[in-house]
Amino acid sequence: MKDTRTLVGDDVADHVSALVEGVFTGLDPVLSQADALFAGADRSGVRAEQLERLRPEVLRTLGGHDGLVVGAGFIAAPNVLADQEFGFEWWTRTDGGRPTQLFISLDPASDHFLDYTRQSWFTVPRDTGHRHITGPYVDYLCTDEYTMTFTVPVRANGAFAGVVGADVFVREFEHLLQPRLRGLPGRAALVNAQGRVIVSNSARQPTGSLVRALDIPAWWGSGAEPVAEPGTTLRRCGDAPIALLVSGNRS
Amino acid sequence: MRKRISHGARSAMFAPLEQTGRVEAVTRRLVDAITLGLLADEEQLPSEAELAGQFGVSTVTVREALVALRQQGLVETRRGRTGGSFVRAPRDRAAASWRKRLRTLTLTDLRDLGDHYLAVAGAAARMAAERSSAEDVERLELATEDLRGATGTEASRAERHFHLEVAAAAQSPRLTHQEVRLQGELGALLWLPTGDAGTHADAHAEHCAITEAIAQADGELARRLTEEHILAAIDRLAELHLGLLEP
Repeated sequence: MKDTRTLVGDDVADHVSALVEGVFTGLDPVLSQADALFAGADRSGVRAEQLERLRPEVLRTLGGHDGLVVGAGFIAAPNVLADQEFGFEWWTRTDGGRPTQLFISLDPASDHFLDYTRQSWFTVPRDTGHRHITGPYVDYLCTDEYTMTFTVPVRANGAFAGVVGADVFVREFEHLLQPRLRGLPGRAALVNAQGRVIVSNSARQPTGSLVRALDIPAWWGSGAEPVAEPGTTLRRCGDAPIALLVSGNRS
Repeated sequence: MRKRISHGARSAMFAPLEQTGRVEAVTRRLVDAITLGLLADEEQLPSEAELAGQFGVSTVTVREALVALRQQGLVETRRGRTGGSFVRAPRDRAAASWRKRLRTLTLTDLRDLGDHYLAVAGAAARMAAERSSAEDVERLELATEDLRGATGTEASRAERHFHLEVAAAAQSPRLTHQEVRLQGELGALLWLPTGDAGTHADAHAEHCAITEAIAQADGELARRLTEEHILAAIDRLAELHLGLLEP
């Protein structure tokens, strides 16, 4: 990893990186369990009901990180399960309450079916083979809230079999990071690879808005090397797909 | 998902194109009229020749449409002196409840609901134009394409899903909740699966234009196009309502 220690906001970047790695690390046991499930399946494959075996690890992930993770589980790729086209084992926990299992329509003919295979949290790990953070986005499938979804691809028999993932509310992310952003000189925002603001210390650059002064997607696409110009610094937070943008005076 | 093609669909697939289009169009019109209650249960349909004259098609086309309606159980043909084709209103609860809701709705309430929906969906479209990334636009394009060539419940689902995606692209959970709530209240009626191919083709073109305005970050245009799109649907619903009231 590059040494970026001469840039403003080291502390924030390190903290964001640690938070993100913490959420992904929390998914490791679910991922291992999913790998074991597919590896141990007989020739007919994994049946939907067998996804229950992931439950203890899913619930443990859900309980971790001081309540930061509000949803977790595994979502199968279409036709990977032996007995149904779609399937998942996903649990949510909100307001400190008991975990509840998510049920949504899995019947493509149903009036209420929403095709999850179009969601970035599914398509990006499928297409790149790498972990991904989707959002901030309005998660109308599950949390109904402004959410960030962390997903890691699961492979079985050499092919993409689905994702394990964790949901984090954007407002909780803000709770954790706003005090640190407030400590920075000038206007500061954490943005995703599309240039969408996750948290900012300025009312002029609210959560969910796009940074248009800089072409963040292009910067990201060309390697996301740290930029330090008079009045502006832009740098990636560790290996996370999140950048810290600090500019001029806060206003 | 593996799609099974029925024998009916198979033979329709190989029928001469223009004829297929006409038979389907006539069938859809009659299915609408029956499922929405514009034609009452037990009502006798005009003769084949009269229907052909009204629709401006051949009697062969009408005859084929009636075969399709008989297969769907929406029409019964009796022979003899008192014979003819008679409407058999669908017994399914969904269609019956639409009819009931449409009939009991007042234009006063419809206008108010329409205004509310216009405010929510119009504002969502404007903000979506300001806030959509390339990824959001891509999802809107997919949702737009769902409506191309769609009919019936597939089309009404595509409508609702498109507007849901716009609200989500606005990055607003509250507007998305409102959109979902209003869809629950109004959407099932607003985007009734009327099966009218013309309406859906227009709607597809309208969705394309809205998506394009959002992609161009033109918030005012996106809002105006969305409002016009919804107003047209409200007007159509008002017409249907009035049609149901006629003696």
